Amino acid sequence: MAIQDDIKSAIAEALPGLSCVIGWGAGPEALRAAPLFMRDAADVDKFTAGFLAVNNPALFLPSLKGAKVGLVVKGCDARSVGQLVAENLVSREAIHLIGYPCRGVIDMDKATAALEGRCEPGEVKGLREENEDIVLDAPGGEIRLAKKDVAADKCARCRYPNAESADVFVGEKAAPVVERDDYADLAAFENMALDARKAFWEKEMSRCIRCYACRNACPLCVCRDHCVASSREPHWLTQADGVRDKLFFQLIHATHLAGRCTGCGECERACPVGIPLLTLKRAFSRQVEGLFGYTAGIDRSTPPLLTFKLEEPAIKEREW
Amino acid sequence: MRIGVFICHCGSNIAGTVDCAAVASKARAYPDVAYSTDIMYACAEPGQDAIIAAIKEHLLTGVVVASCTPRMHEPTFRKTVERAGLNRYMFEMANIREHVSWIGKDIEANTNKAAELVRMAVSKLRLNRELKPKSFPVTKRLLVVGGGVAGIQAALDAADAGLEVIMVEKQPTIGGKMAKLDKTFPTVDCSSCILGPRMVDVAQHPNITLYAYSEVDSISGYVGNFDVKIRKKASYVDWSKCTGCGLCTEKCPSKKSYDRFNEGVGPTTAIIIPFPQAIPKKASIEREYCRQFNTGKCGVCAKVCPTGAIDYGMQDEFIDAKVGGIVAATGYDLMDWTVYQEYGGGRYPDVVTSLQYERMLSASGPTGGHIKRPSDGEEPKDVVFIQCVGSRDVSVGRPYCSGFCCMYTAKQAILTKDHIPDSRSYVFYMDIRSPGKGYDEFTRRVQEEYQARYIRGRVSMVYPKGKKLIVRGADTLMGAQVEIEADLVVLAVGAEAAEGAPHLAEKLRISYDSYGFFMEGHPKLRPVETNTAGVFLAGACQGLKDIPSSVAQGSAAAAKALALLSRDMLDSDPQIASVNLNRCVGCRKCIEVCPFKAIQEIDLRGQPKAEVIETVCQGCGLCNATCPQGAIQLSHFTDNQLLAEVEALCRF
Repeated sequence: MAIQDDIKSAIAEALPGLSCVIGWGAGPEALRAAPLFMRDAADVDKFTAGFLAVNNPALFLPSLKGAKVGLVVKGCDARSVGQLVAENLVSREAIHLIGYPCRGVIDMDKATAALEGRCEPGEVKGLREENEDIVLDAPGGEIRLAKKDVAADKCARCRYPNAESADVFVGEKAAPVVERDDYADLAAFENMALDARKAFWEKEMSRCIRCYACRNACPLCVCRDHCVASSREPHWLTQADGVRDKLFFQLIHATHLAGRCTGCGECERACPVGIPLLTLKRAFSRQVEGLFGYTAGIDRSTPPLLTFKLEEPAIKEREW
Repeated sequence: MRIGVFICHCGSNIAGTVDCAAVASKARAYPDVAYSTDIMYACAEPGQDAIIAAIKEHLLTGVVVASCTPRMHEPTFRKTVERAGLNRYMFEMANIREHVSWIGKDIEANTNKAAELVRMAVSKLRLNRELKPKSFPVTKRLLVVGGGVAGIQAALDAADAGLEVIMVEKQPTIGGKMAKLDKTFPTVDCSSCILGPRMVDVAQHPNITLYAYSEVDSISGYVGNFDVKIRKKASYVDWSKCTGCGLCTEKCPSKKSYDRFNEGVGPTTAIIIPFPQAIPKKASIEREYCRQFNTGKCGVCAKVCPTGAIDYGMQDEFIDAKVGGIVAATGYDLMDWTVYQEYGGGRYPDVVTSLQYERMLSASGPTGGHIKRPSDGEEPKDVVFIQCVGSRDVSVGRPYCSGFCCMYTAKQAILTKDHIPDSRSYVFYMDIRSPGKGYDEFTRRVQEEYQARYIRGRVSMVYPKGKKLIVRGADTLMGAQVEIEADLVVLAVGAEAAEGAPHLAEKLRISYDSYGFFMEGHPKLRPVETNTAGVFLAGACQGLKDIPSSVAQGSAAAAKALALLSRDMLDSDPQIASVNLNRCVGCRKCIEVCPFKAIQEIDLRGQPKAEVIETVCQGCGLCNATCPQGAIQLSHFTDNQLLAEVEALCRF
């Protein structure tokens, strides 16, 4: 792929001034790419971009403070970086962003479902992209899947496919998939009666194993070792296994991300039991966008819920 | 820990609907409770003595009193436990009066709720730590915001007592609303004659620095050490050179400017000295009316000024000042009465406000003290006064009584008769409110000696007929409709907090009600204090009041400020924030939200971290709530303490 080579040249060009560049390389299976930390030319050769470039490389930034690092970013990854910068959690000067036009990434749950009855995802030996399709090299012959059928949900409502804040942008910019996020997924959820919604979450949370993969995959969950979920001092949460404890944790997680979550979906992707965690976070995002006109990862100011203004311009509390 | 629990009866205030003995008995089962009893009046001397005796007898290390709001008696009981040798922070209060006995009648439910609140207090107390205050020096300087009669009184009293005072006044002159009045009730003495000397005193007092035509731009800091930024608005006249000779105001060719001081009664010039007794008596240019600014061609004032004081290029100037206390005395403004379409909504020139009428009555006003109809300059014979225009009227969102209108309307009716002996005055009123010394006699005099006709009822409409205005209203005592052919209609327009008062309140971090009036600390017992330490109130900014009350409050505010600033050192509250450096990621959000600039960034082995400046922190808890990492804890209100309370209440 021409664009892949162009990105590699951009990486190679930037690498001398950086401690490493984070992108994607081959993963444990043909359908899974993994984060790739490139430190020399040999590493750069292993770089792959495209439909499998799922992981959000912004995740690693807070732990790499102090070093200048490069990142190859999709539009959504760049929003995470933007948010970290807006919150002073990383320094923009210490980051070199290489952007490229993203046309969607795979959702492994959907791919697994699509392959149901034909082969296991792990049996796929290779993948190539052909325009709007992906062609899998499977044991029983080639399998052709439409990208839109196996792409992540977030890709269908992508407003920012290009990393606008990139230092170097490779390729032609892609058109946004939608102009505005109508939060139709939330509306569908909210059509359920309150009882049904409660029952829904209780059922979903009953599967939670409190592995904290959602938290660990979140590029904006920067407390890490000091997360309230595991802290004893202060002892906010019990380690109990009840549904309410799990829901409590997830609601805290969502609340802590209110107005900060860029909707990259890494929490939901990392969840080993498939809880629709992004729904909670998107409910907050919709609220914050509506109330404060703040779009996480795009706006450069401190998120509204993490600061204090005497008067919010968008909230007409008092008309003086 | 050995905790003592004292359940107060507060006479029958609590015991009437709470079984206090049962609460005390339940409390005995709570963890660490070594002693529990009910007590008739915990705050009374026998009650306090009983607490001290119990501490000694049962070797208590912490005390919970379940009684009223901590707003009143927390300081009392802290002193009590201190007298018994405990640290004052080893004390918790459960409010079982305002939060329980006064709001419910079900004794069983109340008793349970009271027991729960006591359990919460016990749970928190178990995690309390001894805290000790630090002390910090006080800046012995007072800021008075507003140069009306209340502010003037506060400034003079404080300055006479030896305090340095900075007065900031928005307008080019001090004097406020009182300076606009012709005479004052109930003595009908000349307003500027009695106010004038006070204004001169302000200007000449060695301890007072006056910044007229200035506003408070920002305030930071805390009691004892406020940092104030004052914006001196550009007057385009160098006041150090201006002698107040008034030549410029005579020669200014732009003669159709709105006359702010004279409430728009007649036009004025673009460069003005508000009135002859203005303090400071300096000229200033109203930019929006000035030809030099609007067309770039004029410069007349600059040519005629004998001292060369005109400076068209002048910019706003900022002055930084450090003060220990602040008196807000921002006064009031009239409400926008044009919402009353039935009185013409501002369309009829001969319907004027009471303040406009004052300027017509005043010898230094634009009519030279002759009452003239604005439409044709003729002397009116029939003058109708309509009271409660924007007072006591829920339909325009002004349910409150402005308090002084009954009195000044009576005064204006008297003055009308003095000015035009063959005139007739009519006053439409709702009730006559005159509860002051000599006030009721005054309103009686205007009716009996000055033959003003008082008509109890509202006016339904005012409309023009030829040169006259027809005032149609109800006489509810006669049960009849009345129509009066008036030459002039004077509206006793209700007052509201001064324009911009809420903005100042936000800067001062004091609360204000829905009409913009500043909230006092306690409606009866702390009338001039606010809930922000070091900020005091004087005059109508706290609630509408007449001149005697405003002056009294000015003195009261000065007394409070003096009591505060007579001390060399103040104790800082030890209930402050602290940063756990292990957790801090240096995101600076706490620094951004801190309203006291009490958090600074430090460098810890190359990593940015936050640090609380202990004497500056006021323990408001904003940083604590903001810190995403939970790296900031507020002592006496740590997460663990709050959690303990929540868990005591929500047990599952």
